[in-house]
Amino acid sequence: MAVPVVMPRQGQSVESCVITQWVKNKGDQVNAGDILFSYETDKASFEAEADVSGTLLDVFFEEGDEVPVLTTVAVIGKPGETYERRPADAKKPEESVMEEAPPATTTDNQPQEIPGKTPRASGLPPNEGETGRQMRKRISPLARRIAAMHHVDTRGIDGTGPKGRIIERDIRDRMLSAGKAGTSFVPEKQPPVHSTASIDGAIASTGGYTDHAMSNVRKIIAAKMAESLQTAAQLTHHISADARKLLALRKEAKENSVQTGGISITINDMVCYAAVRALKKHPGINGHFLGDRIRTFDKVHLGVAVDTDRGLMVPVLKNADDLNVQGLSARLKQLANDCKEGVIDPGLLSASSASFTVTNLGAFGIELFTPVLNIPQIAILGVNAITYKPCDLGGGTIGLIPVIGLSLTYDHRAVDGAPASRFLSEIKYEVEHIQ
Amino acid sequence: MPKKQFIDPGKVRKPGKITFNSIPVNQYNREIEEERNQYTDDDFLRIYRDMFVIREFETMLHEIKTKNEYQGLAYNHPGPAHLSIGQEAAAVGMAYHLTVDDFIFGSHRSHGEILAKGLSAIHQLDDDALMQIMSAHFGGRCLRIVEQASKGSVKDLAVDFLLYGTLAEIFARDTGFNRGLGGSMHAFFTPFGVYPNNAIVGGSGDISVGAALYKKVNRKPGIVVANIGDASMGCGPVWEGISFAAMDQFRTLWQGEYQGGLPVIFNFMNNQYGMGGQTQGETMGYDILARVGAGVNPEMMHAERVDGYDPLAVIDAFKRKKEILLDKKGPVLLDTLTYRYSGHSPSDASSYRSKEELEAWLEVDSIKGYGESLTKSGVAGESVLADIQRHVKELIYNAFKLSVHDDVSPRMDLRKSPGLIGEMMFSDGSQDAMLEGEPDSLMPLEGNPRVKQILKKERFAFDKEGKPFSKLKQFQLRDGIFEAIIDRFYKDPSLVAYGEENRDWGGAFAVYRGLTEAMPYHRLFNSPISEGAIVGTAIGYGMAGGRVVAEIMYCDFLGRAGDEVFNQLPKWQAMSGNIIKMPVVIRVSVGSKYGAQHSQDWSSLVAHIPGLKVVFPATPYDAKGLMNAALQGTDPVIFFESQRIYDIGEHFHQGGVPKGYYEIPLGEPDIKKEGSDITMLTIGATLYRALEAAEILEKKYGLSAEIIDARSLVPFNYEPVLESVKKTGRLLLSGDANTRGAYLNDMAKTITDIAFDYLDAPPVVVGARNWIVPAHELEDYYFPQAEWIIDAIHQRIIPLKGHQPVNDFSDETMLDQSKKGV
Repeated sequence: MAVPVVMPRQGQSVESCVITQWVKNKGDQVNAGDILFSYETDKASFEAEADVSGTLLDVFFEEGDEVPVLTTVAVIGKPGETYERRPADAKKPEESVMEEAPPATTTDNQPQEIPGKTPRASGLPPNEGETGRQMRKRISPLARRIAAMHHVDTRGIDGTGPKGRIIERDIRDRMLSAGKAGTSFVPEKQPPVHSTASIDGAIASTGGYTDHAMSNVRKIIAAKMAESLQTAAQLTHHISADARKLLALRKEAKENSVQTGGISITINDMVCYAAVRALKKHPGINGHFLGDRIRTFDKVHLGVAVDTDRGLMVPVLKNADDLNVQGLSARLKQLANDCKEGVIDPGLLSASSASFTVTNLGAFGIELFTPVLNIPQIAILGVNAITYKPCDLGGGTIGLIPVIGLSLTYDHRAVDGAPASRFLSEIKYEVEHIQ
Repeated sequence: MPKKQFIDPGKVRKPGKITFNSIPVNQYNREIEEERNQYTDDDFLRIYRDMFVIREFETMLHEIKTKNEYQGLAYNHPGPAHLSIGQEAAAVGMAYHLTVDDFIFGSHRSHGEILAKGLSAIHQLDDDALMQIMSAHFGGRCLRIVEQASKGSVKDLAVDFLLYGTLAEIFARDTGFNRGLGGSMHAFFTPFGVYPNNAIVGGSGDISVGAALYKKVNRKPGIVVANIGDASMGCGPVWEGISFAAMDQFRTLWQGEYQGGLPVIFNFMNNQYGMGGQTQGETMGYDILARVGAGVNPEMMHAERVDGYDPLAVIDAFKRKKEILLDKKGPVLLDTLTYRYSGHSPSDASSYRSKEELEAWLEVDSIKGYGESLTKSGVAGESVLADIQRHVKELIYNAFKLSVHDDVSPRMDLRKSPGLIGEMMFSDGSQDAMLEGEPDSLMPLEGNPRVKQILKKERFAFDKEGKPFSKLKQFQLRDGIFEAIIDRFYKDPSLVAYGEENRDWGGAFAVYRGLTEAMPYHRLFNSPISEGAIVGTAIGYGMAGGRVVAEIMYCDFLGRAGDEVFNQLPKWQAMSGNIIKMPVVIRVSVGSKYGAQHSQDWSSLVAHIPGLKVVFPATPYDAKGLMNAALQGTDPVIFFESQRIYDIGEHFHQGGVPKGYYEIPLGEPDIKKEGSDITMLTIGATLYRALEAAEILEKKYGLSAEIIDARSLVPFNYEPVLESVKKTGRLLLSGDANTRGAYLNDMAKTITDIAFDYLDAPPVVVGARNWIVPAHELEDYYFPQAEWIIDAIHQRIIPLKGHQPVNDFSDETMLDQSKKGV
């Protein structure tokens, strides 16, 4: 009997994958375990193996096609054998944008999607589905768009438009009353795109350029970064911490690892550890800004930016506050490797999976930068290079000491400058007093 | 009415009686022998050939329609074929003495006239002229097709060209005379003096008069013949055309070389049936059609019945009548008696006539009879006539073969070029003048008293403190229109303006005050109260090559010009394959105060019709700029003016209305007031009510309205409106047309389609009620008011705090009204 080959589901949040390459073609003989095709999700690429041996009787999608997970993409069997044609797409890869936001009272400490519910595109509140539609809530197209853009929960809003329709001013009122920065409310202006067009027009005519198609991952990063900068009120504070203790511990750990063959704890691991500790003391930072409310988490789910060949990835280390520095270090290394090898569980790559993110450019000698928020997270810590700075060493002596730069970007909609500064100082303290 | 013509009660009240002269009926009675001094044997035979060409051409179409083949070659022609088998002598006789300077206009049954006039032109033109005409037509496309198969002289080639071009046109081929866009009932070829045939009965009755007016005003050689059917004598436009053509003023008031009657012959091709209705004895009362001429003017239109079954009788009549016209004693009415053997159309079972009648006419068939007289008089033996017949059949078959070949004669590829016909709807030209030369005038422009008076006016309505000048001091909307029109009068010698009370009175609303002093009669005159003829003649005038501003005094009177505005004016540019231009501006004044038949805004009706440009300015600056653009263009423009605001000054354009020339491109809406919370799009004078509403919204409810004046309906650039709606998220549209079917709904729909995601509520249309327009005292309950706009916003877009609406814009009321049909 012909056996269908289905697009595997890679993690809860993945709804569809793009076929990047067919390794086997229609009519090829395949053995169980042969690679049939490669595919990628938002952030990782995979290869699908044949489960059975036989002839690849048919393939139903081409390279570049976006295929909903669990859809039959090919069929393996004996030549001449009849098989069922690919059923009509059960559902579109992306359902329409949600109508309703989750209940405002949710205190779920897991930012992960709730098992059993249809996962949604990351960063967007899950859809309440049919109930929302059945309610036939009247909401103007403009109001709906603004609510979606600012993550405003439209449930519970009494529309003041004709026939109780929720109109633009109702969304605006909700944003104001929720204590959000009403002034940051920007109606429908899209970011200007004319600059690229004009540059293109000016330079393109002279020739000498190459257009590069963007990978799926690149497109996702582009959209996420732009969305972050458009929607969040983000700004960055910088501080430097005395790194003498860090360097000493690092040296010690290095020597230990050489002797024991154990893992080598990096500067970054230690800063992460310091950040986790600081977050425990400042729980207001450890959370998500959801437009009409702020959700803080009981545990620290630490996102760590990893540079890979495929682009930036930010895997999450769940419950990072349960680990000591060694444990933390080991787990972070594993995650980074998984990312680089493209075998990371996509469920761990969602921005809403993490409650806080650390990104490190210190290895590149960067002394100061402004990390971009991984929305809906409230803050992100940038770790800079170690430099030397004059310092009062006591007794009238001024000397140079190593310091590490720390840059905290935070969402001013969620946090004001003073608490953000206190939090950053807390990290500095933890770094300087790391054990 | 001119003051110099004194109506003397003593004279007009005197008793007396009207006497009529006799009207000749079939008086021609000469044999071939007696005509030998007029015609050579070749001429006699050519007449025979031309008649037989028509007979065979029509027979071919009859065969195709009834048997789907001709001479063994199969073809299906689903379109119309109104044939004139039996009428050949009338057509050939009509065309015999006409030159290419003489224009003929036709009817739905005019294949014969096209061929007769074409063959006559080919006979008269020399080879060079023929080659030039054929190579120039669509870059010689048609010529190249016939050239390959044609044998013989240039004249032979031209005959092939004529047959093929006409037939390909009938079969809707891209290679036809009008690229297949005219078809059987509208085919024409202007280089041979063949102007549009017309599928509307009597449609040429007033259009042809406009062409004659063009010839007269611009001193062009030639006459105009309107070939219309006997049944069209029952059509209003024909009577109106006759009235217009017979106006006394041509003789009494027009001066110098312009004095004298219009060079036009109303040639009734009287085949005695209007479809199945017998005109004589059933549907009309004239007994003999020529009698009608007696009632029109003292000259009785030089009316005459001529036997259209004798080609020589018709030739004789046209020769004499053409002399009358060249003697400036037109118009002429001819009743050319004929008969068609074929039905009205191939589907006609001839249930309205007896077999005996048909046979009796076949017995006296013109081709048979004329052929017999040729052999009897020794002009040619029967074998010569048989040779002619054989040759003609060959020519027709060749033209048929070429025109039905899909590779040789393709149709327009609308799959490949879906916009092809759309691009032909307008000529979109820009021409200072349609003709060269020095424009006639009675005084220099600067010396004109109105021009001088206007120069003293305030070209912006408000002084530096923002206080309005007095109405009389303000440069008004009517002044803006005047400035544009008088400027064009001095630029374009072909420009004429007419309508009711345009001269002396200066137009019912004083737009033309001062123009009487500036322009001689032949450039500005009063027309009869004949809206059909006012627009119809303007069409003929434009078609012939002139520029014209015709006026409809009240928009409500557009109905009187329904066929002209809906069927004629918009169609001819595209139906000609873009050969014809139509630089015709119809000024339409929208009334108020005068109740149900004098106060309607019908801009939506004309906007619905493809092929018309429609504008409705509401400020002096816009009126002048749009009129300038309309008069610079080459397309028909319906130019609406609201009587409510003829006296309004310029409220918007900083620096006031420029004294010099400027154009406002048709189709560009204008933001009259900027705002951020709601967009209001208005058409016409409602602009000022919207401004009132905006003030209330701002002061009472803190809402800032952006007001956009549509200015044009067709064409229309939506982009500025969309931009505004994207900014405000709300849209209200208002105008004076009654709401049902108003063009505003179309605009609302388009904007919703494109900007749906930006809308905070569905756009609301606030038009007038679907009622009769009541008396002036009740008008505020009929036309949109500022208060209505506020109420509609409150109930349908954004409830206004503390507002108590007076008018009901609820769903329930809308549905209820719709159920009742109001």
